[in-house]
Amino acid sequence: MSANPAIRSQFDGRSPADVKAPVRIAVRDLNFYYGSFHGLKDINLDFRDRQVTALIGPSGCGKSTLLRTFNRIYSLYPEQRAEGEILLDGRNVLDPKIDLNELRSRVGMVFQKPTPFPMSIYDNVAFGLRLYEKLPKSELDIRVEESLRKAALWDEVKDKLKQSGTGLSGGQQQRLCIARTVAQRPEVILFDEPTSALDPISTGRIEELIEQLRTDFTIVIVTHNMQQAARISQFTAFMYLGELIEFDATAKIFMNPSKRQTQDYITGRFG
Amino acid sequence: MDASNPLATAGRPLSASRVRPSRRVADRILILASTGATALGIIVLGSILLMLIVEGLKGLTPELLTAPTPGPGSAGGGIANAILGSLVMTFIGIVIATPIGLMAGTFLAEYGRGSKVADIIRFLNDILLSAPSILIGLFVYTLMVRPMGTYSGWAGAVALAIIATPVIVRTTEDMLRLVPSPMREAGAALGAPRSLVIRTITWRAASAGVVTGIILALARIAGETAPLLFTALNNNSWFNANLLGGVPNLPVMIYQFALSPYPNWQSLAWSGALLITVTILTLSVVARLVIKDQRAR
Repeated sequence: MSANPAIRSQFDGRSPADVKAPVRIAVRDLNFYYGSFHGLKDINLDFRDRQVTALIGPSGCGKSTLLRTFNRIYSLYPEQRAEGEILLDGRNVLDPKIDLNELRSRVGMVFQKPTPFPMSIYDNVAFGLRLYEKLPKSELDIRVEESLRKAALWDEVKDKLKQSGTGLSGGQQQRLCIARTVAQRPEVILFDEPTSALDPISTGRIEELIEQLRTDFTIVIVTHNMQQAARISQFTAFMYLGELIEFDATAKIFMNPSKRQTQDYITGRFG
Repeated sequence: MDASNPLATAGRPLSASRVRPSRRVADRILILASTGATALGIIVLGSILLMLIVEGLKGLTPELLTAPTPGPGSAGGGIANAILGSLVMTFIGIVIATPIGLMAGTFLAEYGRGSKVADIIRFLNDILLSAPSILIGLFVYTLMVRPMGTYSGWAGAVALAIIATPVIVRTTEDMLRLVPSPMREAGAALGAPRSLVIRTITWRAASAGVVTGIILALARIAGETAPLLFTALNNNSWFNANLLGGVPNLPVMIYQFALSPYPNWQSLAWSGALLITVTILTLSVVARLVIKDQRAR
């Protein structure tokens, strides 16, 4: 399996995978069930600090399922359950005693379709801040502005903060959701196919944004788009039928994968 | 013509139809039948409205809105007491029904999703939705009028509330279900407890639909007659401020006066009917506008 020069050139000048970065999330023997359906099988995987890790694989392979275990958002649905360990800074996220709301303020999530709340742009961003921090108005204003700037949205909305968040374009709405997540200053941000509902220009902006956010946050992104995974991630995990097939530095996965299935998938032979 | 080549038909003159004549006839018949049925419905509705307007306007005098209903055989009079009685009972009814309906609808859509209890409640609610309203009147008669020993506006309002509640439960649940679940997930993902997500996100997202449901429930009970027959009854003068004793109201007034032999009573019944119809029509239009406004946003 030799590396295609066109693929290799994609990785020139890109920030390489930092294999020495501390582990932020460690997944140990994770199994997941939708009722009786076994959705994830014995997953073991490390996510490193301030790196972007992409989860790729064909539809139904379990990549979104895996993502949804990190903030236990699946627990909104009683028939779904996880077994094993997900260690976030050494603490098991799956421990029933863990405070879910505190966990979710540390592990933020951005969804496939933009989900602006039916309230003003300002209130959307302040929503998470008002939950657990009693900030004075001036402090809140600063945090909202800072978050909107981080989400590269400030210049577009600074004059209409009181307008409804649902009136923005799809790409702006998604950046608003990112601002809302960033505002809580989480440690980890989970992206569940964040650009699949967006046009190419908005997609490009979100990708640039993820690149910038990496300096502050550990990022896990589920994507259907292999080029996207190659463009923005340092590490890539390839999943298939609920199993982790291969996990490595993104450049390695795309240029010289060690498993046949990975090779077949990235060259478009299935999936 | 080469059957395997779909392009072969391209050579045909445009006027030649590919549609079998029998299909065209069937098409015409269906158009005619559906247009005819619609026209019939509109004609019936239109003639009722026309009759109401013609007869109702005759009695539309200032006295109608200021004087109470006249006694049997006495001249003149208005329906002010019935209007006021109806307003008071409908208002109390909706005030009782709204919180119950809102909470029950929220339970069904948010907390009880997929649970057996919710399925049973939903089924019972649907039965209540189509229960004959006279039964509800009798139920409240046994529940309140007999023990209290008197007809009352309270009993009337409770009967109306029982009719309004399932309407509000149903629309609230339906409207909350329309809120996409990623919206709730996004709230939860920020660490918001469920009750807060419901109060600040899902309720708000569904607010126009929920308000519409309440307005429609209001329109529904504003014209109900049967539940009031055994509860509020009626009376031909002003009612007690404590709502005990018979409380005059438009639907029962219309029912009694329309059947009476006195021409002035019959005329008052017409005017009352017009008033109620206009009110319900207005409420329905407002409900539609609220929904439209929500969709536009």
